[in-house]
Amino acid sequence: MAEPTTQAPVMEMQHVSMRFDATQALEDVSLTLYSGEVHALIGENGAGKSTLIKIMTGVHRPDTGTLQLDGQPVHIHNSQEAQSLGIAAIYQEPMVFPDLNVAENIFISHRNRGMVMNWGRLYKDAEAILAQLDVKLDVRMPARGLTLAAQQAVEIAKAISLKVRVLIMDEPTASLSAHEVDQLFRLVGALRSQGVAILFIGHRMEEVFRIADRITVLRDGKLISSRPRREVKRDQVIREMVGREVGDFFAKTQVERGALLMSVHGLSREGVFSDVIFDVHQGEVLGFAGLIGAGRTDVALALFGIAPADGGTIEFEGKAAKIHSSKQAMNLGIAYVTEDRRGLGLSLPMSVATNISLPTLRRYLNGAGLIRRSAEQRTAEEYRDMLMIRTPSVEVEVGKLSGGNQQKVMLSKWLNARPKLLILDEPTRGIDVRAKAEVHHIINDLAEQGLAIILISSDLPEVLAMSDRVLVMREGRQMGIYDRAEATQEAIMTAAMGQHDRAVEAHA
Amino acid sequence: MNAIRRRFQPEQIRELVLLLLIVGIVLFFGTQIENYFSARTFNRISTSVAVIAVVAVGQTLVVLTRNIDLSVGSIVGFTAYVVGTQLTQHNELAPLTVVLMAVGVGAVLGAINGIIVAYGRVPAIITTLGTLAIYRTILVQISGANSVVTNELPQWLIDVPRINVWSFGDLDIRFLFMLAIVVVIVFQLVVSYLPWGRRLYAIGSNPDAARIAGFPAQRIVFMAFVMSGALAGLAGFMFLARFGNITVVAGQGIELESVAAVVVGGVSTNGGIGSPFGAFLGAILIDVLQNSLIRWLAISEFWRDALLGLLILLAVATDTVIMNRLRKLWVPHELQISDSTAVKQGGVDHAG
Repeated sequence: MAEPTTQAPVMEMQHVSMRFDATQALEDVSLTLYSGEVHALIGENGAGKSTLIKIMTGVHRPDTGTLQLDGQPVHIHNSQEAQSLGIAAIYQEPMVFPDLNVAENIFISHRNRGMVMNWGRLYKDAEAILAQLDVKLDVRMPARGLTLAAQQAVEIAKAISLKVRVLIMDEPTASLSAHEVDQLFRLVGALRSQGVAILFIGHRMEEVFRIADRITVLRDGKLISSRPRREVKRDQVIREMVGREVGDFFAKTQVERGALLMSVHGLSREGVFSDVIFDVHQGEVLGFAGLIGAGRTDVALALFGIAPADGGTIEFEGKAAKIHSSKQAMNLGIAYVTEDRRGLGLSLPMSVATNISLPTLRRYLNGAGLIRRSAEQRTAEEYRDMLMIRTPSVEVEVGKLSGGNQQKVMLSKWLNARPKLLILDEPTRGIDVRAKAEVHHIINDLAEQGLAIILISSDLPEVLAMSDRVLVMREGRQMGIYDRAEATQEAIMTAAMGQHDRAVEAHA
Repeated sequence: MNAIRRRFQPEQIRELVLLLLIVGIVLFFGTQIENYFSARTFNRISTSVAVIAVVAVGQTLVVLTRNIDLSVGSIVGFTAYVVGTQLTQHNELAPLTVVLMAVGVGAVLGAINGIIVAYGRVPAIITTLGTLAIYRTILVQISGANSVVTNELPQWLIDVPRINVWSFGDLDIRFLFMLAIVVVIVFQLVVSYLPWGRRLYAIGSNPDAARIAGFPAQRIVFMAFVMSGALAGLAGFMFLARFGNITVVAGQGIELESVAAVVVGGVSTNGGIGSPFGAFLGAILIDVLQNSLIRWLAISEFWRDALLGLLILLAVATDTVIMNRLRKLWVPHELQISDSTAVKQGGVDHAG
């Protein structure tokens, strides 16, 4: 691998801060990118990595702080401007146009290629760029059907065609196989030797340590450290990533664990997750920790029958259960509060009351089969009081409420189904501190009432504070179940990032 | 302002605005067209509204689920012709049998749409564009380009359009108009009080959430198409009664008028928003415009359609602007304030 050159920086961010409403996304972050250097940026979910990328690509403008390119201050207003300055980004999911061929994809952002397509030249130029990268691809082949790695190669070629100087790679390896990762890293090496500055965002420690020349850690929007790779150790980096205060969190009251409610054995869904084994008891909060994309939500979707498992067994209340549809799951007494409020959760144009009664409409019919609106409203009012939903009336459209209140409406909707097992998927994402604390209280109360709860959260301190036990997943596999006493931030993060595997404990 | 806000939702205000718009248009044409304010005008327009309104109610059900039914015009023509020929051959058929036959034929044609869209997962716009042409072609084939003519129809049918349910002075509420009003009321109740109706909204506003809530989404969409077909069938009967003479082009253009009525009436083409009552108002607006423009001597025949189109566009555009304004007024900042008392007193700042 080429040594990083010690020359003037290509790009510098100085004292950049950015705030979204209540959240300080970035606070006084300075970052320097050198030509021919791979700069790894790591941090937990929500540490501010995405905001940083968006500032560099002109999607966001920072509240304070400056960006410099070759020592000159620049203001980037949109991603086209970023491109013309030589800053490009590629993402986990490559954005290729499936119906265009490889060459067209490479040159899609070029505007000055004349009035009439010169196909011969297009193909020749495309081949030249791919040759530079030592990639063998038929440039006349449509992008549809290319492997993810090949699509990424196309994206990288596209960046090169735009004379990229700073390339941001946002978790490019997340969905690649080991072999494809090797291929990608060869490309990264080629780019580096051509003098491109690369900002590499990754979650897998060993990859970061393999490819990076410099490692920067972000936590809660602050820059924690930025050092050459050979000066840092892995466990040191992990400690820096997780060093958040748990003290702010409301801790779950310990309740006597009730009877066994559900046992899951070897639950799998091909290509998504495999061999998930756990028990959950009444009155217990089982946390699901892991990085985004670790397969936690997929397990939840399987338990709720939306994307059913294709292997393993589920025992519910001592009886073998088959869950192939959400209806079956609901009949068993399972409810799932999705992380995707807008997409999967609520019908935004409909009122609070009608949203709450939607899955349980049958309960609100009178003898003639008509909906009793007054009963519906009574229920909605009850939940409004109980969960402190702030809305002028239960007839207001849900879409008009704030995120935290929408979350509570969703919770009401599923609590009203009177479940025995409640699966909460990121219940506090994107809601303000106060609403968060309220949701934590609600979880606590529900567990005390004997409900079994599976809590999926990417907020590590939250999972630790709220759970009796924590199940950690990584890339579709269960890395272990930790009791409250042994579940430290370091232990969980280490498991989630794959430092060492831990024997799966089914019956902790 | 605050009291108004608590009492009404933006949608209700939209309906009020629509009503005012209709009144405004009527007043305008009153100054332009001689003898406009007459019982004849009212009776003519009300009978013609009746047909469109019934189709528009069916269209509403489909559009609420984020689909569209473009075949309704063909279904109206098809049922009008089929029922008409049956009647010319069997003059003795009982009125109720005839109506049920029309509704049944329409429902079957609607069911074909429904199967293809809900179970075949073909986009509704493609499906019903196809069946629009197919139903019409079948009609041409079975009719052999013959027409149903009035004097072969039983007398009771010819009398139907002239049946009065009610009279205020010269103004008659005709049976057909009354029938349309009954349809509107029934379906307004259906969408508000039947689980099936509620689920139409749920599916249209968020199909994925509906799936998660465990609905039989396909069956509900299928039924929406069946209902749309059945109502178009009923409209076919009304069409037959109104005109008596049915050619193979009968009902052509109704699909567009019904879509226009639904959209003008505030039903969102993205599904989940709107009501049969709104569509009814939309139908009135469209039909008043159409009938008045025909009699307005100031514009030539050639410009009539263009003007109608322009007015529809204008209505929808204004509506969008007004609704956005209203929604902003209604989306109060006080909802974001984390204190529940703020909700009760809030909103003064935004009331202007």
